Amino acid sequence: MAYERLVVERQGPVGWLIFDRPDVGNAMDARMMTELEEAWRELDDDPAVRVIVNTGNGRNFQTGLDVAALSRDKEAMTEQSRRTRDAALRFTAWHNQVWTPVIAAVNGNCAGGGLHFVADADIVIAARDAQFFDTHVSLGQAMSYEGVGLSHKMAFEPIMRMALVGRSERMPAARARQLGMISQVVDPPDRLRDAAQELAEQVAKNSPAAMRATKKALWGALEHGLTDACRAGAQELVDMWGHPDQTEGPLAFAEKRDARWETAQLEES
Amino acid sequence: MTFSKFDTLIVERHGPVGWLINNRPEQLNAMSGHMRDEFGDAWLELDADPEVKVIVHTGEGRAFQTGVDVQELATDGMGMERYRESVENWDLHFTAWQQGVQKPVITAINGICAGGAFHWVAEADIVIAASDAQFFDPHVSVGQVVAIEAIALLRKMPFESVMRMALVGRYERMNAERAYELGMISQIVDPPEQLREVAQELGETIAKNSPAAMRATKRALWGALEHGLTEGCRAGAQELVSMWGHPDQTEGPLAFAEKREPRWADLPPS
Repeated sequence: MAYERLVVERQGPVGWLIFDRPDVGNAMDARMMTELEEAWRELDDDPAVRVIVNTGNGRNFQTGLDVAALSRDKEAMTEQSRRTRDAALRFTAWHNQVWTPVIAAVNGNCAGGGLHFVADADIVIAARDAQFFDTHVSLGQAMSYEGVGLSHKMAFEPIMRMALVGRSERMPAARARQLGMISQVVDPPDRLRDAAQELAEQVAKNSPAAMRATKKALWGALEHGLTDACRAGAQELVDMWGHPDQTEGPLAFAEKRDARWETAQLEES
Repeated sequence: MTFSKFDTLIVERHGPVGWLINNRPEQLNAMSGHMRDEFGDAWLELDADPEVKVIVHTGEGRAFQTGVDVQELATDGMGMERYRESVENWDLHFTAWQQGVQKPVITAINGICAGGAFHWVAEADIVIAASDAQFFDPHVSVGQVVAIEAIALLRKMPFESVMRMALVGRYERMNAERAYELGMISQIVDPPEQLREVAQELGETIAKNSPAAMRATKRALWGALEHGLTEGCRAGAQELVSMWGHPDQTEGPLAFAEKREPRWADLPPS
């Protein structure tokens, strides 16, 4: 697919998925949502891509649905409403069951529906001047999926405050890090992409098969009570036994050398 | 009550505090098959001893614990297969939670805490750490999956931090200060040499509370991790009501009114 709303590129083992509608805060129109589904699939299916970084062009990371554009496009609006109602969204990595590790690198504002991409990433880092806020209720809209996702991943009160205060208050990157919503603040902000690339290259050194099973176990854990989650996690654990990486890792450790991971494409899950 | 003699653990009691100390310092307290078995017995002995009101778990040497003994796995020809049955059947016995320990458990992290060591962070009630403690999870860097210990941990702290540790592997370490910020631990002990002293003090402080009330509290709060909110509250209500009529439940308010120390009932075996 020729992308018009995204930039999709590769740097070494790292696939980049970049929102590219800087004039409208990278807001999502129908075309962008279609391209996102395509881009996540393309990067996740590429065996050369070990880690995916998601960021935005311009001074915003992502500001949610482009309601103006969607209101001019009846058909797209109907389809979007259906997907929302049926919990069948397809624009984040989690929606698309991407098992390659995903790092969100938040440049600038992350507002409203932009929080989907924070909630649904594995790792989140942000530029020092990034700001998080949720405008839904200020525009007469309910905030739901993003807040539900985040509430499984961090303290509840800050999410509820963000949801209820709406556009009148913004959370700076430093507070997001304190709360564990993100793990790293990049300063100066223009170092964000370098920092994301470095982090991604470190992650890319690990066993792809073990990381995929780890993602399945930990995201799966959000679906169940603790004991059931541990039982399901035990299955992910054991499924890796007998995989070449699983014996290669300890062997490389014992022999004090770098591990040689299985590079064959991971089987479709 | 006297404790069994263990090869890989030190088990002892100081006042009301029972100590379980990882004792394979040469291997950074990595868990061999034998140590795994000894853990199961040690938790049960400590939980059964009526003199022990609180249990502290720490390690000898420069590491708290570093997970499974990878050297043993790589060299003895059995690898992880020895553990397959117990993991597949969810039949594990090396942590307090797995053993159904009803007394409060404090994990006191000395030095390195890596990989499988997170079992005892995730599955303790309270965690404190020396200021030089370091946390990291090298599983995916040695071709292993991160699952059970992280699943419990992410119920208890922000998800992203756990996932970052799981996916970055051995290439990054979290210090005690960050672990404290994130609420993974509740206290940093500085200088590090005072860790055991501080843990003993905390243990003695907790030992002043009603054993029966703490047992019911543990059941309610750990039980809450099994359910959605409404169902968790319903289950918790059962634990709450289970204390009504218990002697501690009237003794507590009475001692408070009379400005004296309460005299708690001993905990019957569970």
